[in-house]
Amino acid sequence: MDNNVMHAKDLQQTSFNQKIIKFGVKFLAYLFLCTMALIVLFPFYWMIISSLKSLAEYRLNVPTFWPKKIIWYNYVEAFNAANLGKLFVNTMIVGVASTLLSLVITVLSAFAFARLEFKGRDTMFTLLLATMMIPGELFTITNYTTVTQLNWMNTYTVLIVPFLVSVFYIFLLRQNFLQIPNELYLAAKVDGTSDLKYLWKVMVPLALPTLISITILKMMGAWNSYMWPRLVANDEAHRLITNGLRNAFTTTTGDVNYPVQMAAVALVSAPLFLVFIFLRKYIMAGVSRSGIKG
Amino acid sequence: MVDNKQQWKAWLYLSPAIVLLLVFTVWPIFNTVRMSLLENYSGLKAAGGAVFEFGIGNFQKVVEYKRFKECLTNTVLLCVLTVPISTLLALLIAVTLNSIKPLQKLLQTIFFLPYVTNSIAIGMVFAAMFNIIGLRPDGVTADTWGIINNVIQFFGGKPVNWVNQGSQYWANMTVMVVYIVWNALPFKILVLLGGLQSINKQYYDAAKVDGTSRKRVFTRITVPLLSPMLAYVIITGFIGGFKEYSSIVGIFGETMGPPDAAGRLNTMVGFIYDALSTNSQGRASAAALILFAIILAVTLFNNMVIKKHTHY
Amino acid sequence: MKRILALLLLVVMVIGLAACGGTKTPTGTTNAGTVNFTVPEGGYDGSAVEIKFYHTMGANLREVLDAYIVEFNKLYPNITIISEQVGGYDDVRDQISTEIPAGNQPNIAYCYPDHVALYNLAGAVTTLDGLIDSTIEITRADGTTETLGLTAEQKADFIEGYYNEGKEFGDGLMYTMPLSKSTEVLYYNKTFFDANNLTVPTTWDELEALCAQIKTIDPSCIPLGYDSEANWFITMCEQYGSDYTSASDDHFLFDNEQNHAFVKKFNEWYNKGYLTTQILYGAYTSGLFTAQTGTKSYMSIGSSAGATHQRPDMVDGVYPFEVGIATIPQVDANNKKVISQGPSLCIFQKENPQEVIASWLFVKFLTTNVAFQAEFGMASGYVPVLKSVGENPVYKEYLGSADGGAYIAALSAKICLEQESAYYTSPAFNGSSTARDQVGALMAKCLTLTGDVDSQIAAAFQDAIDECEYHS
Repeated sequence: MDNNVMHAKDLQQTSFNQKIIKFGVKFLAYLFLCTMALIVLFPFYWMIISSLKSLAEYRLNVPTFWPKKIIWYNYVEAFNAANLGKLFVNTMIVGVASTLLSLVITVLSAFAFARLEFKGRDTMFTLLLATMMIPGELFTITNYTTVTQLNWMNTYTVLIVPFLVSVFYIFLLRQNFLQIPNELYLAAKVDGTSDLKYLWKVMVPLALPTLISITILKMMGAWNSYMWPRLVANDEAHRLITNGLRNAFTTTTGDVNYPVQMAAVALVSAPLFLVFIFLRKYIMAGVSRSGIKG
Repeated sequence: MVDNKQQWKAWLYLSPAIVLLLVFTVWPIFNTVRMSLLENYSGLKAAGGAVFEFGIGNFQKVVEYKRFKECLTNTVLLCVLTVPISTLLALLIAVTLNSIKPLQKLLQTIFFLPYVTNSIAIGMVFAAMFNIIGLRPDGVTADTWGIINNVIQFFGGKPVNWVNQGSQYWANMTVMVVYIVWNALPFKILVLLGGLQSINKQYYDAAKVDGTSRKRVFTRITVPLLSPMLAYVIITGFIGGFKEYSSIVGIFGETMGPPDAAGRLNTMVGFIYDALSTNSQGRASAAALILFAIILAVTLFNNMVIKKHTHY
Repeated sequence: MKRILALLLLVVMVIGLAACGGTKTPTGTTNAGTVNFTVPEGGYDGSAVEIKFYHTMGANLREVLDAYIVEFNKLYPNITIISEQVGGYDDVRDQISTEIPAGNQPNIAYCYPDHVALYNLAGAVTTLDGLIDSTIEITRADGTTETLGLTAEQKADFIEGYYNEGKEFGDGLMYTMPLSKSTEVLYYNKTFFDANNLTVPTTWDELEALCAQIKTIDPSCIPLGYDSEANWFITMCEQYGSDYTSASDDHFLFDNEQNHAFVKKFNEWYNKGYLTTQILYGAYTSGLFTAQTGTKSYMSIGSSAGATHQRPDMVDGVYPFEVGIATIPQVDANNKKVISQGPSLCIFQKENPQEVIASWLFVKFLTTNVAFQAEFGMASGYVPVLKSVGENPVYKEYLGSADGGAYIAALSAKICLEQESAYYTSPAFNGSSTARDQVGALMAKCLTLTGDVDSQIAAAFQDAIDECEYHS
């Protein structure tokens, strides 16, 4: 009897301890995440408050953590600086077209590298990785000459085509495909499923979080690209949003008007942020459901 | 045995990528090699009708540069320090984030936010945080010590001269490491979180049934299954690390170092930019190819190590 | 292992191919140095041409420009000006140096001398001498005529230092026309100066005494803030008449006794707490000058175009102190030297000579039109390049309103116009901007030295020279 009671007490004690530990772990987890979140959030906060300061306040020796006087006009100025509607449409066209095409190319290449056996596969892949290592600025001059000879200046083509292949994304997706058990592929082969069908029905859904990450990154690339578009398509009809907004940044003395620049950056970032909020649930949607069943 | 049909199919799938790469990547690389082997090649001079001798003078000049070793050391040091730190931190955040329910969405959004924040903004925040304004020659009087030093002083420490004149090399490096790690976090978290989401929940369910400990689940299931993604962030981290340049400009400006030691933090890519600014593409190309050779060697080495430890 | 071998093989192949592609003839001379444009007979034939003009103007300046393009087209309806804002000055330079090899360069561009030196590597910038000297009469759309070149009066109307900037390329030829200029001026706290009976310094010796005096009044202050270390160094070379750089063969000459001496002198001043610079202070020195609390400065040397930054924020609707503006201190008050900065215009070579002539007509229109110069100057805070703008009624009224508060930009312009004979520009060559960066860093570094200053200064100079020579 006594023994039994003792045992029950012990059990109670253990489960209590476990609860404490569990709570402690949870607490630490949240503490860690929140601290990191605050640290990570700081530049974002800084961008917003800087965008609302006057240039004089921005140049103060002792930086202020909250604008003394909120200058909403910076946003008006950034907005008025360019034909924002047209810039937005251009950027959307380039962003969507290059994202879609890039996804197709990336999926096909990553599949070949991850699942197909072919001669020279590893060498090809290493070579591909190697191309990432040369600073892009060195390519600009040669590529500029190439697109001039192709007569692509001031077209959407020149904004979309040269950067469709990203070794980064092929690499990323290949790594994701490698996570998917090979048994699935072999089983599909036995069933007589075609590669493309297998790719579309199994691989793509399983790699959805990565594909969405790539989509976001690629869209952001179109959004933030500056140097290349300015060189090759800086006409009214094709100008992209960053190029259009950059015009608001310089003051008459040639200094950068940072508050207005920050306002412009915030304006440009807002749609991206919304896209992310919208897509986030797809990234987070557990794909476990579509895994091997039974 | 590799069957022929797969061969043929593989190349078909790769063809769009290969065609585009040939035109917009391989050809420029070829051109880079050509420029590096023409003595003192400059695109503008060439446009003006100048012709250049063939030779390896560009490579010699790069290697003979008295700061070449310094640039290389800085580059390697930054890589070796930032990649492990940022990868571990990102992994920790991603795993923790994946393990909680309430607030997960909010926190995830927050961790992504810096990615839509312009890098100019981040650079300026950092510069302001570490910058000491009005430091007097005596080294103890200043007008504004900066937030970081304020925090140190709050805990009773002595303020550190991080980036201003008279600052030490290790202090400069610390700032760069913190800045680069910070910059690298959002992307790594995004990739690792995506990878975690792709791990079949059944593995975890099985572990639960078996009563496997948290630590064991982490080292035996999470890390191995995440290893392709970890390999990705590490390799791209190294490649990015070797190309470090703009982050140093962000903190130290074009002087690439504190005022009394300009160029002390210069990197290989910074060196390439210097050459490009006087239109010396020959020298820039030579430096780029040297950098390329170094990264290639490191990546091959990385690959060998990772192959041994990666579970595909 | 196989893979590495394959890679090596590929690298060898590529190098081999490249070797075949390389030409083996010795380096040719660049095209700069000879007159590269001769005006065809008849000058402008009235044909329709499109002129692309790259600049960095913000919205308010573009308005002024657009208004004068309309005026220009009344005279030359067949010349279409397409003006394009291309980010900042560096963006213009990068874009054009990429475009030149492909033959896509614009017709006219905003430029700094070192940009032109860069474009000159390709011989892409038109020499203006032939155009300036041309006496061909051109009939305009409104029936009036003008000389294609510059008349003697037009030439004489330019502020000399600004005009001569176009000839600083080592070959005596004219490559650029000045559009609008700025310089450095001395801003001082007039309220403080008046209250303490201080005199505005005209020489560096006076400045030294004044700093000592100010330090006794306000021991915690830093009397002078100098924004640009590079400008300071270059201006000191000019004021002492010592060597800085040369556009011909041996470019980097700044490592000499005189320059060591002035750097050492300023080092002493810095260590006495007399002055600071932007790099050393860690922020714009104008912030120190306009500060209402904490450490203050009472003098600030900065760009004349940034006058509004040197004005303190209003407190209860009034400026806390009045700003005075003067010429920067000199070595010799009778031989003043102040730097000339700000954009010029250059014209690019084109296959069709009519495009070049049309570009010249537009450049000439902008740089010699008094009304445009006046309006552009008022909108930008830059100084007009023509002396006669001072006689323009609108501009005269603007200068008349000059004060140390609301109309500080006008006061700055007024001082700039008064010192018209003092402007200089330093030689321009490919690498001149490297020299500029290096001497700026050198100055900042040397100011902070302590201990055995002489040998450290000598080492720092040698280091800067090495860097310049390596990167040129």
